[in-house]
Amino acid sequence: MTSQRTAILFVLPALVLYLAFVGLPILQVAAYSLFSWDNGSVTGFAGLSNFARLIDDSVFWTALGHNGIWVVLTLAFPLMIGLLLASILAECSPRTIRILGAIYFLPRTIPLVVAGIIWGWIYNPMFGLANWALDMVGLGALGGAWLAEPSTALYALNVVGAWTFFGFCVLIYLAAIQAIDPSLYEAAQLDGASWMKRFRFVTVPLLKPTTLFLGLYAAIEAMRFFDLVWVTTQGGPGYDTEVLTTHIYKTFFLVGDFGYAATLSVVLLAIVLTVSGVSYRLLRSA
Amino acid sequence: MNATAMLAAPSASRPAGRHRSLGAYAAGRLGRHLILVLFALYALAPVYLVLLASVRSEADLFSGPLSLPWPIDLSNYARTWNESGFAHYFLNSLIISTGSTVLVLLTAPLAGYAFAKLDLPRKELLFGLFLAGLVVPAPSVIVALYGNLQKLGLLDTRLGVILPQAALLLPFSVFMMRTVMQDVPKELIEAAVVDGASPLSVYFRVVLPVVRPGLMSLALIAFLFSWQEYLLPLVVIQADDLKPLTVGAATLQGRYGVDYGGIAAAGTIAFGPLVVLFLVMQRSFVRGLTAGAVK
Repeated sequence: MTSQRTAILFVLPALVLYLAFVGLPILQVAAYSLFSWDNGSVTGFAGLSNFARLIDDSVFWTALGHNGIWVVLTLAFPLMIGLLLASILAECSPRTIRILGAIYFLPRTIPLVVAGIIWGWIYNPMFGLANWALDMVGLGALGGAWLAEPSTALYALNVVGAWTFFGFCVLIYLAAIQAIDPSLYEAAQLDGASWMKRFRFVTVPLLKPTTLFLGLYAAIEAMRFFDLVWVTTQGGPGYDTEVLTTHIYKTFFLVGDFGYAATLSVVLLAIVLTVSGVSYRLLRSA
Repeated sequence: MNATAMLAAPSASRPAGRHRSLGAYAAGRLGRHLILVLFALYALAPVYLVLLASVRSEADLFSGPLSLPWPIDLSNYARTWNESGFAHYFLNSLIISTGSTVLVLLTAPLAGYAFAKLDLPRKELLFGLFLAGLVVPAPSVIVALYGNLQKLGLLDTRLGVILPQAALLLPFSVFMMRTVMQDVPKELIEAAVVDGASPLSVYFRVVLPVVRPGLMSLALIAFLFSWQEYLLPLVVIQADDLKPLTVGAATLQGRYGVDYGGIAAAGTIAFGPLVVLFLVMQRSFVRGLTAGAVK
């Protein structure tokens, strides 16, 4: 009995802090979504009418679509690049691994606010590196105002997101590859399997749990990222880079509609919890 | 870009196997190493760019983004640090990040130890509660947190950032600490218990010294994430002299839209300490980041 009490006392500080500043607000948000609000105070019970508003809220659907595109792009680009780089890197000397690993991860140590500012310059139509580089190789005609044009803004931002994320994928994949039994590679090499064959038939299948983990992580991040959009485009031009979190932020702080901001938050929470619940099962069975 | 890289790999890569020539093998290696270099440039170019811009004088601004700045001009740093409040912002970042890190270090290892080694009732349920927090988006929490902090009188205080920041870091930290604590040998703990040590003294005298590398990793990661946080201080703090670097840098960008040298210096001040910390403690960082992932 006393040992159980000790265990509870050990968990308590973390639990109290966590429940007070994360758990409780989530319950409150769920409750807020059921009321109508005006100027920060409740004006009446709203039932599910806040949720009914979602259907006609075209910004919500646009934002959700952008989060979806972001998920797909993140799974396609940084994850696959991370896998490829890690498998090449795994065959290099420990010194090379350490140096290149640090270089790839470096962007992740830069706050997204600063990353947004730097890349804002790179994409600047007047003096930015992107257009300058295109000019240098004779493709100046392809240049543009990357973050200001509806057709390119979201994708240009995704390149920044990938920039901060692919190094993390390299590190995680690298750790997983180094845990693979080397005799599997030796056997494959003795059989004359090419690098590409070893990659396809040894590395990729054995890394499936890691890929699932990173995929889950990437998908969750793609649903809840905020900083990068907020410091670069604030969801613009128009709503062309609007995502769920910026929609929540604007609804809460700029419009002051607490009830609907809470409703959007509940939807976002429901999505990430469902996605992670499903993935958790996949991970367990993998 | 992904597709081209994947396509480039098979055509360029050939093994030392029986069927291929040595030349083709060398070409394959070269192709793969080229990919490594290409992505190193992708990672480094923006950092290089901002470092150059931060020491470029205004007169030198339009000589091309990659040209070496000459003469090297440190006045951007002096201006940013002295006039734009960056000395304040830096101090606030330091206080907020240290505060959150200390709070995490005081609470997460205790909980991780209880989850890994102690007879905790409803262990699965409690751990699930923390696990669910791993995916919670901060903007969802803020809708209610803002009003709560207001009632507590914590709006516009650094403590109002520190407390929720630490709380948001806890799910990852508890998860990581449980993994770390699982590796503590059972015999070590049992021997101390047999010697009559109290649970707290077992924890402080036996367990903590063993997991010191794990604590170091946790501290580094908690510090990194707190230093990078933007949304929380953006919402909680209005007073300019309480803002951390992330919010300060964004404000500066809005205020001095065209002072590129100043903004570059500001950005460098904002990420410099993190880069140095990461490069010096790389091993510890990587151990922490991969602790939960590869299991």
